[in-house]
Amino acid sequence: MPTVTLSDALLDELVQICGEEHVFAGAAARFNRARVPSPFPVHRWDEFVPDAVVLPTSAEQISEVVKLANRERVPVVPRAGGTGLTDGAVPLRHGIMVDVKLMNRILELDLEDRTVTVQPGINMLKLSEELKPHGFIYPDNPASYPCSLVGGRIGTSGWSLIGGRYGHTRDLVISFELVLPTGEIVRVGDGGGPKVRKSSSGYQLKHLFMGHQGTLGIVTEATLELVKRPEAEFSAFYAYPSYLDAWRATGDFARSGAATLAGVVLFDEWKLAYLRRDDEAYIPQPESVKAVVALALYGNDDEVRASAKRMLRLGKASGGTYLGDEISQGDWASRHDRYATPLHGRTRDGQVVPMSWHCEDASILYSQLPAVREKWHAIAAGLRERFDMFDDWGMFAYTNGAFKPWGDYLTEIDIGIWEMQWDDESWAAWVDAKREIARVALEHGGSISACHGSCREGEVDLVPEELGGGFEVMKAVKRALDPNNVMNPGKYLLDRAYEEDAP
Amino acid sequence: MATREVGSEGGDGALTEQFVAEWRNAAYNCYSSGHKFCREVCPVMQVTRDEAHTPTAFHANVVAMEQGHLSIEDVARDYVHCTQCGACELRCPNTLFTGDFYRFRTRTVDLVKAVRALAVESGVHQPGWQRWNELTDERKNEPVLNGTPVSQEHVADWADGLGLPVGGETVLFCDCEAAFYRTSLPRAVARILQAAGVEFGLMREQWCCGGPAAEMGYVDQARRFAEHNVADWRAVGAKRILVLDPHDYISFTEDYPRFFGDDYDFEIVLVVELVAELLREGKLTLSAPVDRVATYHDACRLNKRKGIYEAPREILRAIPGLTFKDVDHVTQWSYCSGAGAGLSIERPDLTAEISRRRVERAKRLEVDTLVSACVWSERPLSEQGESQDVEVVDLMELVAQAAGLEL
Amino acid sequence: MIGFRLAAQRPPDPERITDTVVMRFEHIYEVDPNLMTEHTPQQSFPAWDTLRIVDSRWEHLAWMHDHFADSVVSGEELLREIEGEEGEEA
Repeated sequence: MPTVTLSDALLDELVQICGEEHVFAGAAARFNRARVPSPFPVHRWDEFVPDAVVLPTSAEQISEVVKLANRERVPVVPRAGGTGLTDGAVPLRHGIMVDVKLMNRILELDLEDRTVTVQPGINMLKLSEELKPHGFIYPDNPASYPCSLVGGRIGTSGWSLIGGRYGHTRDLVISFELVLPTGEIVRVGDGGGPKVRKSSSGYQLKHLFMGHQGTLGIVTEATLELVKRPEAEFSAFYAYPSYLDAWRATGDFARSGAATLAGVVLFDEWKLAYLRRDDEAYIPQPESVKAVVALALYGNDDEVRASAKRMLRLGKASGGTYLGDEISQGDWASRHDRYATPLHGRTRDGQVVPMSWHCEDASILYSQLPAVREKWHAIAAGLRERFDMFDDWGMFAYTNGAFKPWGDYLTEIDIGIWEMQWDDESWAAWVDAKREIARVALEHGGSISACHGSCREGEVDLVPEELGGGFEVMKAVKRALDPNNVMNPGKYLLDRAYEEDAP
Repeated sequence: MATREVGSEGGDGALTEQFVAEWRNAAYNCYSSGHKFCREVCPVMQVTRDEAHTPTAFHANVVAMEQGHLSIEDVARDYVHCTQCGACELRCPNTLFTGDFYRFRTRTVDLVKAVRALAVESGVHQPGWQRWNELTDERKNEPVLNGTPVSQEHVADWADGLGLPVGGETVLFCDCEAAFYRTSLPRAVARILQAAGVEFGLMREQWCCGGPAAEMGYVDQARRFAEHNVADWRAVGAKRILVLDPHDYISFTEDYPRFFGDDYDFEIVLVVELVAELLREGKLTLSAPVDRVATYHDACRLNKRKGIYEAPREILRAIPGLTFKDVDHVTQWSYCSGAGAGLSIERPDLTAEISRRRVERAKRLEVDTLVSACVWSERPLSEQGESQDVEVVDLMELVAQAAGLEL
Repeated sequence: MIGFRLAAQRPPDPERITDTVVMRFEHIYEVDPNLMTEHTPQQSFPAWDTLRIVDSRWEHLAWMHDHFADSVVSGEELLREIEGEEGEEA
């Protein structure tokens, strides 16, 4: 059993900084902040608990906590929603967890220059509810839209389901304030004032401080794009008799040039088989349906209607069968909810078991999708053959580029894992499989991760290979900004930055 | 706080083991889910922002108990932070999207009740709840603590002068808060039913429904009270029970059927639904204008836990003179007064803040009145309404006024 | 009927839809109960609860549409328009 390693004196200092009611060292408070929804070795839970948890209410408090951590050489792990699908918010070395959920206020709504400035603990759906009466929305729309938080979106450089139209997190966050690993509070953006969208002054630091998985600091405030609420939404689901037909149609839709196009998604036959298990929309579909393509448009009513007609003509020309308004509208509206309910899981003999949802999320070029798909399914089949606790939940490919959604695709293979069954052997096999999946992505000119981050066990081994000389730059930056390696240590192999021959 | 061993084994190991065996599948089903959509709809979490107060944690704790990391002593206090409003379990995709398909849904409310029961059985009490239930046991009704003498002698004082009989086929069950505190509500209900020609009586001896005891983990007491009430209903020949409070409605349609099984053959009728029907059938007419601008607070136990949201709106739209500014019932999945499941006893500060935020949302609609159909919500909401200049009234009080009835 | 009666809460017997799916209420599918015998036993499910979940799902989906845009454009309607336009061209 682990014991709390922080001294009483250090806890007292945390209390002085954050207030007694915002410092927790009890077992339940710590065990409930050890994990995120990505696969977690439940049988080794206690290796990942923080020593203490603080819920600060200001940037100044966070700065003081970070300075204290540097003085005492104690790890600091930032946590926002804790809904990420890589391990960013999981403490690998215990330490102090800085949980920003209490910082969830809207600080300024600027209807003239169209920005909203918020604290990092606010949720996007709740923010959009507040913006609705003013005619605006904040369209950073991951599957976790109803629960993930702005701070975590920046820390992971998140991906949005309607990013083709409105951009992803990096396109919607204009600037932000953060506490650096040594405790200084800085503001980064493109340059200029916090509301400037495009600047050429100096280094582009905004991107540097996005997607670092908590290894380069803690966001304390963000200025976000205020987007006009769409007048109209259009979604269409098409059935195809084969994967390749659907793949070609996906390319046609994505390259159509429609500015309202928010995304195109291609489901393969494994995904169809999975949806037929329990999704009311797919249960009655004939066996001849082997693949589905979905697309969505947002914007002004006249523009959406014109683009929708173009898409419907493309759909017909590509040999697709329109699945009707009920499925098209219903399945689109359920995009946050439908795909990760544990009872989808089946053992080899078909029994229902609660499985967690793991998704590999590589960026794969359009031309490479068919080949990658076959290799990934083979890896999943190998896992299921060895252990009756893994299940292939199929693949989808989703247009990836913001505003120009046609080159590469967020490509997921969803693997169900019956986590009640973990042991060291199955965990090791899983990590190996993840590494293999990542290797296939790289062999085909892709990236390990389009949206979640690539610091999970297994795949992270290939990050130096993926980034090449860029990884050397990452190490140099890490060591320069975090000389004591206190900020979320152990992530992204960045301990190597502190080895003797590191740059 | 401070330094200490975690995972200390305490309480009755066998009780915990039995509890974990019963709940582990449900716990893993939540634990394995990537979603945490429960979180931002949870009224407590919206205020404390503490992950240990989330339904996710409530389920994960069971897994941690199974793994030997946590004990009931470690977690009991966290489970105070729940109003059992049902938002989390409804919003959970494991309910909303696959609950009907698998006949297996997220049951956070039942889990919270079970953990609280385990705590009580293991001797881990919350002082406020312990006292509340002792006093209830002693007096047979909840100690609503406003100076009104709570006892069986006074349980029907609210009905003075109404000429209500005891017994009959239809019996009106009057909630403790209504019987001893907000007596204008049961008087309004009685007057409305009389005006519409509905024949009904009262119980001989009406005890608390037992729901609050069940909600706080005092299971044996809950059952004793249920047995008393059902025996009283049978003794007076009741077949149909009229219910004016959503909390009682939950007790009578969920707890009692579990206690008594197929023998439980009463018809349970929610007064709000009955009044909507009486209006529809023309047995009740509303002709006195009510000059108010109002919005409706969806009672959690009706809206989230039972899917009852249309009848109150139907009634509000039938009130002449009333300007009704509605907020849809799905948006209101994340609204609450904070009064439920004993939160107001152990954490009155949280109840007050949840109510303050609810009234603030009403205020933004530029209304002068917040209408509720849940008597337990009305005290904390009224307290906050005073400082924000929003009057909180019960839907039935408004109906009585519109029907021109003297209370 | 507005009142609750326990006896009315027993769901109708299932009819088979596919190898793994049955149906008790019109258009409401359920898993074949035989698939939930070994690891995850089903819960007791009164009829009102099944219907509440299904209704809530549709209400939630409508809410989600409304959350993201003022209106939803119908593909079926546009397809009819396209057919009409093509008819005129021919």
